Amino acid sequence: MVHTVHYICKYTPLELFAAMGAECVYANHMPDGFGISESVIGSNICGFGKSLIDLVNAGGVHELILTSCCDTIRSVYDNLQKSGKLNFLFYLDIPHAESGCTKTQLSFQLKQLVRAYSAYSGNCFDRNKFAEAMKLSHVQQIRPNSPYISILGGRAGIELHKEALKEMPLPVHNDTCVAGRSVGESLPDPSLSFDELMDWYAGELLSQLPCMRMIDREGRKRLYNDPNLRGIIYHTIRFCDFYNFEYSEIKSHVDVPVLKIETDYTTGSSGQLLTRLQAFAEEIRSTYADTPQIFKGNRSGGSAMSKQDFTYVAGIDSGSASTDVVILDKDRNYIAGIVLPTGAGAVISAEKALEAALQEAGLSRADIGRVVTTGYGRTSIENSDRSITEITCHARGAHFLDPSVRTVIDIGGQDSKVITLDSTGKVTNFVMNDKCAAGTGRFLDMMARTMEMTLDDMSLRGLAYKEDITISSTCTVFAESEVVSLIAENKDVDDIVHGLDKSVAAKTATLVVRAGGSGPFMMTGGVSKNNGLVKALSEKLGQKLIISDKAQLCGALGAALYALD
Amino acid sequence: MSVTETFGKTVIKVNKNYPALSRGILRAGWEAEDLVFRFHPHKESFPADQYLARLMMDTMLAPLRAPGQSVICSIFTPCELVQEARLHPYNVEAFSSYISASFAESACVQKAEETGISDTLCSYHKTFLGAAENGLMPRPRCIVYTNVTCDANLLTFSRLAHLFDVPDFFVQVPSDPSEDAVAYVRDELLSLKSFLQEVTGRSIDDAALKSRVERSKRTLSSFEAYQSARADRYVPSDLVTPLYSAMTANILLGTQEEETYVNRCLQDLQKAGPKKGKHIYWMHTLPFWSSAVKKYFLFNEDAQIVGDELSQVCSSDFDTDDPYRGMAQRLVYNALNGPADRRIEAGIKHAKQCGADGVIWFNHWGCKHTLGMAQLARAGFEDAGLPTLLLDGDGCDRAHGGEGQTLTRIGAFLENLV
Repeated sequence: MVHTVHYICKYTPLELFAAMGAECVYANHMPDGFGISESVIGSNICGFGKSLIDLVNAGGVHELILTSCCDTIRSVYDNLQKSGKLNFLFYLDIPHAESGCTKTQLSFQLKQLVRAYSAYSGNCFDRNKFAEAMKLSHVQQIRPNSPYISILGGRAGIELHKEALKEMPLPVHNDTCVAGRSVGESLPDPSLSFDELMDWYAGELLSQLPCMRMIDREGRKRLYNDPNLRGIIYHTIRFCDFYNFEYSEIKSHVDVPVLKIETDYTTGSSGQLLTRLQAFAEEIRSTYADTPQIFKGNRSGGSAMSKQDFTYVAGIDSGSASTDVVILDKDRNYIAGIVLPTGAGAVISAEKALEAALQEAGLSRADIGRVVTTGYGRTSIENSDRSITEITCHARGAHFLDPSVRTVIDIGGQDSKVITLDSTGKVTNFVMNDKCAAGTGRFLDMMARTMEMTLDDMSLRGLAYKEDITISSTCTVFAESEVVSLIAENKDVDDIVHGLDKSVAAKTATLVVRAGGSGPFMMTGGVSKNNGLVKALSEKLGQKLIISDKAQLCGALGAALYALD
Repeated sequence: MSVTETFGKTVIKVNKNYPALSRGILRAGWEAEDLVFRFHPHKESFPADQYLARLMMDTMLAPLRAPGQSVICSIFTPCELVQEARLHPYNVEAFSSYISASFAESACVQKAEETGISDTLCSYHKTFLGAAENGLMPRPRCIVYTNVTCDANLLTFSRLAHLFDVPDFFVQVPSDPSEDAVAYVRDELLSLKSFLQEVTGRSIDDAALKSRVERSKRTLSSFEAYQSARADRYVPSDLVTPLYSAMTANILLGTQEEETYVNRCLQDLQKAGPKKGKHIYWMHTLPFWSSAVKKYFLFNEDAQIVGDELSQVCSSDFDTDDPYRGMAQRLVYNALNGPADRRIEAGIKHAKQCGADGVIWFNHWGCKHTLGMAQLARAGFEDAGLPTLLLDGDGCDRAHGGEGQTLTRIGAFLENLV
């Protein structure tokens, strides 16, 4: 009988299973969403743990080895053991340090594992198979010596790695916590007894490049000090706290561009993820524009399109709340700009907005030489010459409107972004809020509805507050219930709105700090019209915000400028 | 706005430009509270609990009064060695709770998140890290911690050691509760002795340590007797006493003060009347700041919190002939180490010991161990005849409160307890 053991971590003794005739399969797929797991283990817990419970419940796993990666895996083990759904389940307690004593401790457990798996499978430990497996692991250590981008941080599923491979202009290595297994760098002395062999093997497992649960993490420095490293995609999983610590330590100490992404370990937020990856690819191309030979297919950092002599160009920003269009002439003069609510479809809204802008300009579609799209709907819009992320476009637009700006704050409908620029307008860093509506335009929209007022009313009511109320809940749902309670307490609406403004301002200011933003600050997007929020944010940042009369058109303006390149 | 809220706002405001001054203001406020506890204690509380309030306040003031003689410890670190080295231990959960009680936690949480730390990290740890980052917490002499029993320990303490540039010592505790593990941890505790001697330049006398560990055993044994005896008595209860007890039962275990507290509890019980209302046993920490929880449990004859699992994580049945082995046994057989069943079984035993009519399992935000086993725990407690409420919330950070929901959940739970 062929045995297949699923495993989750690089500290798993794969060679030991191979020696007992089992094939090991890496459980590392990101699901589309979660199933029964949330009722078993709860929702406020790492998505990888949930995905494991769902995997077992789907019946695809019969034998599983878990390592003591974290408290989530500990709970996964407790729940799976109770469920009785697995034929074989083993929990390997990997020590947090590498020492003589901890090797003995791990060696003891490895021998327990051999006994347990032999008793279960009927297969004995085969020394020759073990040696073969070690040699195979040794071969897998070889790594190409050329420029690359590394995915660091918490485990990245195969799907995320594939997406990064597709978007990045350089090869992408998965160097997350579970990857980079380095067992097999040396081979055991054939004369060792079984006990001695297990002692040696425990040492091999523990001496790998440490993950963040290890106490001595010095060895991790080689992940971000490699001379071939050209960029880092730093991945964290929501509710896994380990890698945010590393990110916070390294973000300002590495010399290569860094993109921080957080997922819930599903493929559910692929739209936002794609935007970030594409913006990062643009940043990488721009950073290494003077060495284009390093890129796949020798693509340079600039536009692949040939320059032509245009009379007019258009930029379309297809956002979740509004679709904005800007038309410029070839001398960068502003000809027309339109903001329309995004309806049911990005394509139709883009057509309508472009039509309205053409009307305002007194032009026809034939007069427009090139169209560049940006925003969430950018890739859905056909008949455009190029699509560029809103990160890059907002930066370009802001720099055009005011070259002194060093930080752009864009609070959009479904996300908030903070983009930092250098004196030439080049993006130096950007951060976005993660999968949470708090601090976004949607949050304000929901709160306005709760208080039965329009967004326009809301933008003014916050200015006339008397009592300094604090809305302490950061969760949108809890904040809504807090607002309802305040209304029930007959608190003044102006005071509540001010509390909400402060709440969003605090969330945004945190993003600014995370991005390393400094003044002058420009606020773009529709929320820049909210006077109360602008005031609260100015107070929080200790500086006045620059609000252009074209603030809402900034992304579309940037796209139009790219169309002129 | 209350006086305490104004105090918290002042501390935060001053902290932005003058961290040392803000720490001074924080200390002044806590010293004032210490005087209040001394001269105007809560009259509703029994004398033992009034004593405990002062003891806890003094423990939190120690690092502000003499930072160089203080040690940051994880909550389950056996502190007898630290005490023998004449150092004051203080822990994350207690210090962060005091920051929260001073209405200063939001600025600390924000500071920690600004550095890039996840918003899903346990808020006690986030507040503690933020307090260190913004200068509210002074530089300790050293740091001693274990992996029992949360991931956050592995991250917070090494980061603080780096931030403060102080020596740290990690006690690795295997998850398998076995005598092999005890032997391993015993050796580590011997190394901890050397570490503390080196850090302080003071020698630790094994005979004195033995006597201290014997006191720990007596204290735990007396506390077990107290919990059993209170099953049919009425002890006026607030929200902070079970929390104080959960803290001091760990970091002050081995001190004369902790033994005095427990002995006074037993004395008070002799004057206590018969049981009134419902007895609730609490799992994990308490959201002492929550008005919803206060409504039901603050000096209420209809319902009282009669125990917190964190006060009873280890049994008094441990070796005192070899104090190192005894302390190692307490760590390895800690109810929160190892599989979930051990924690659930300990909870059932201790809830029944104090005559609990129901159990509240507090899903503290960010505590993955507690969150992940919540459903197993409810099933386990209810199978043992103990109605159980799973309550989501946060023991420290008001931003994760949902007061309306908390009010409804606890209210409905108590209404349906028979």
